[in-house]
Amino acid sequence: MSLWPLGLMVLLFILLFARLRWPLGLALATAALAGGLLQGVPLTAVEQGGLPIPGSSIWRHLVEGGFVYIDPILIMVTAFFFMKVIEENGLLSALTWWILKGLGSRPALLATVLGLFVAFPGMLTGLSTASVLTTGAIAAPPLLRMGLDRRRAGAFVAMASILGVVAPPVNLPAMIICASVDMPYLGFMLPLLLLSLPLLVVCSLWLAWRPLQSGDPAAALEAVERGPLDRHGPRLLLPLLLIAVLMGGPRLFPAWWASPGMPVVLLAGSLLGLVTGDRVRVGAAAWAALRQALPVMGILVGVGCFIQILTLTGQRGELVLTVLQLPAWAAWLGIAVSLPAFGAVSALGSASVLGVPFLLALLGRPEIWVCAGLSLLAALGDLMPPASLACNFSAQVTGEPDYFRVLRRCLGPALLCALWALAVMAASPWLVQLLQGR
Amino acid sequence: MKILLAIPPRGRAWLLLIGVALLAAGAGRDFLAQRQAEVLRPSTGLSELRRLSEWHAPLAGSRGDTELYRFRGAEPGGRVLVLGGTHPNEPAGFLAAVLLVENLQVSRGEVWVLPRANASAFTATDPQEGTPQRLVLPTADGRPRWFRVGGRATNPLDQWPDPEITVHRPSLQALSGIETRNLNRSYPGRADGSFTEQVAFAIRSLLEREHFDLVVDFHEAAIEYPVVNAIVAHERAGELAAMAVLGLEMNGVDIALEPSPLNLHGLSHRELGDHVPGLRAVLYESANPGQGRLRGRTDAAQILAGRDPCYLAAQSIPGMNKVPVDSTGLPLWLRVGRHLDALRETLLALELVDPDHPVSAAGLPSLEDLRARGLSPWLSPTP
Repeated sequence: MSLWPLGLMVLLFILLFARLRWPLGLALATAALAGGLLQGVPLTAVEQGGLPIPGSSIWRHLVEGGFVYIDPILIMVTAFFFMKVIEENGLLSALTWWILKGLGSRPALLATVLGLFVAFPGMLTGLSTASVLTTGAIAAPPLLRMGLDRRRAGAFVAMASILGVVAPPVNLPAMIICASVDMPYLGFMLPLLLLSLPLLVVCSLWLAWRPLQSGDPAAALEAVERGPLDRHGPRLLLPLLLIAVLMGGPRLFPAWWASPGMPVVLLAGSLLGLVTGDRVRVGAAAWAALRQALPVMGILVGVGCFIQILTLTGQRGELVLTVLQLPAWAAWLGIAVSLPAFGAVSALGSASVLGVPFLLALLGRPEIWVCAGLSLLAALGDLMPPASLACNFSAQVTGEPDYFRVLRRCLGPALLCALWALAVMAASPWLVQLLQGR
Repeated sequence: MKILLAIPPRGRAWLLLIGVALLAAGAGRDFLAQRQAEVLRPSTGLSELRRLSEWHAPLAGSRGDTELYRFRGAEPGGRVLVLGGTHPNEPAGFLAAVLLVENLQVSRGEVWVLPRANASAFTATDPQEGTPQRLVLPTADGRPRWFRVGGRATNPLDQWPDPEITVHRPSLQALSGIETRNLNRSYPGRADGSFTEQVAFAIRSLLEREHFDLVVDFHEAAIEYPVVNAIVAHERAGELAAMAVLGLEMNGVDIALEPSPLNLHGLSHRELGDHVPGLRAVLYESANPGQGRLRGRTDAAQILAGRDPCYLAAQSIPGMNKVPVDSTGLPLWLRVGRHLDALRETLLALELVDPDHPVSAAGLPSLEDLRARGLSPWLSPTP
């Protein structure tokens, strides 16, 4: 076996997307179809021992794979609707005014606080999308008003969201790795704090401090409409409060408060937002949200088809094996590159497909620390194109038409994150002794 | 391509829509076929056919309800429940239970078999896993029969959406969201809980109300998984499992004994052992090349023959394969045979550790029988 079929699939995808200008999702699905057929997946159902085998054709696999992201798609659509609602009801401009008034003259503090603020929903849900499309959408306007260009503001939101996924208490990539090796998700607080908090501060300052220093807080404040605050007072904040309660409640009181799920949380916040501020044109907001979400939905469906065919044809296993077979000197590099790279199809998928064998390959080191480090590398996968959920959505909240420009701004901080993850994993035996006395 | 571009954009959009509709219709037919259950043909030793919903009425009429086969011996003795199909993507766990249903003769005590413990999970395969929907096996008279391969978790049509975080009750342990539909993370279950928790609750109620002495849960795991080719035992079943392992080792079956982790909740051996008074809970794991992250092409042949070029290549990575892999593979008959031999040794051990509740069963093929003749002679022919 070899990886040439995967190479051909990628080449075909690039040809369709870059040369023929096909929509990204359609190009991925077509590359998956062609790759599957090329590797002998039948076009029609086959028979075995004279019995027809339903679901053996490539079509079932394409549809099944395409459905994998149905939950993220729902989160995305409801989050876009929430963004439109708070934009129209005045909450967004009120929050921008507040942030600029309170912290506009203290750039370092503004960058750090906004970084933590953006990361917060990710800490509670383990999803970068939840951060980008809620607190990210709120943080973007003050950053832009203070003089950050759209790319830099997008990168700020994307990196803070990813580090929110890594930060405790909820780190989904780590939980997925744990579940796959029957390791309890316990004792992660310290390693995850060490992996996320310093990076969150450094990346926030790296991307925002200097431009914020040269910004003019008074002029920025002047340009923001304060009106909604005067008209509606604190009740304008109620949707945000409701979302914070619905997201935080199940984490604080898990014994008797079940999570209603992110789409319901966002929808509840949106519905409340319809009556707490300026008038919102509901139909127009819903339509705009759907239109905004549609291209990303297409990408996610295409990515789902692609990975299903990779698994079916054995290319996924071949890829994992290739990285695991690297010589010892290249193994760390292989881990640092392949985990984020596999995020091109899915960051959580990367944790499951690559994170687990890597953890097993690194047995002998403190497994909680190694798992935490791997979770940071996997979370970086949300930056990787073509899905690139973090950059894609950050570009949308900052108004940047080309998400690749946001991605380029993220490269430096992402490299720093990868190095930090490797350093923590490599030093984990020593860190355990130093910090935990074991 | 030129022809396509010559069509106006609205026409292309319609073409795309029609294509998607056809795709949905074709795939929909495949997904519906997955709901059709394979027919099991119980042995003459069957005493009673019951349903799981008798122990939790709300399951009646749902896809969580499933057949429960009761084999009662002439002499009184202990009571054993065997769970197959907790994870329908682990075919040896299901097929071993099928062989029990179709061949078992109990002379002393009782054996109850629940071959599709998570019946809902048989009705859908997991996205992005590429799992085949069915396996075809020849039967005693050479004619074929089919058996489903399902997903690891409950069909999302029965329980959806998944939360971002699953909170296990009553321990409050946090797990990733998808585990909310994993039966083997949902024990001890709740009467008013999620669909999967209700299935777990029904199984727990069955064990409690019918005063079972032992529960055995058949599973499979990836070759790189640390707990594989093993018996996992709750501490109350430690002595029993140790004796079973000894018996297996003496017969040349290489198997490990793993204690049930105290702080990993939701698993059958941990929670049923903790919550059902007097119950001994064990779980068997065999190594399935069709399940792990390193596997090559995923199809029925790989599952049946258990041969995989990627795992063969992974043998050169120190410590990666937890079970040695060679070109002969780990065929389905071998994995089923391991489960059946382990069950036989566990029942023998039960007689020693709990002489008041012995269970004697016959009619099952041994690993050596399966090695010599394969699975076919023990699968009842299609009528």
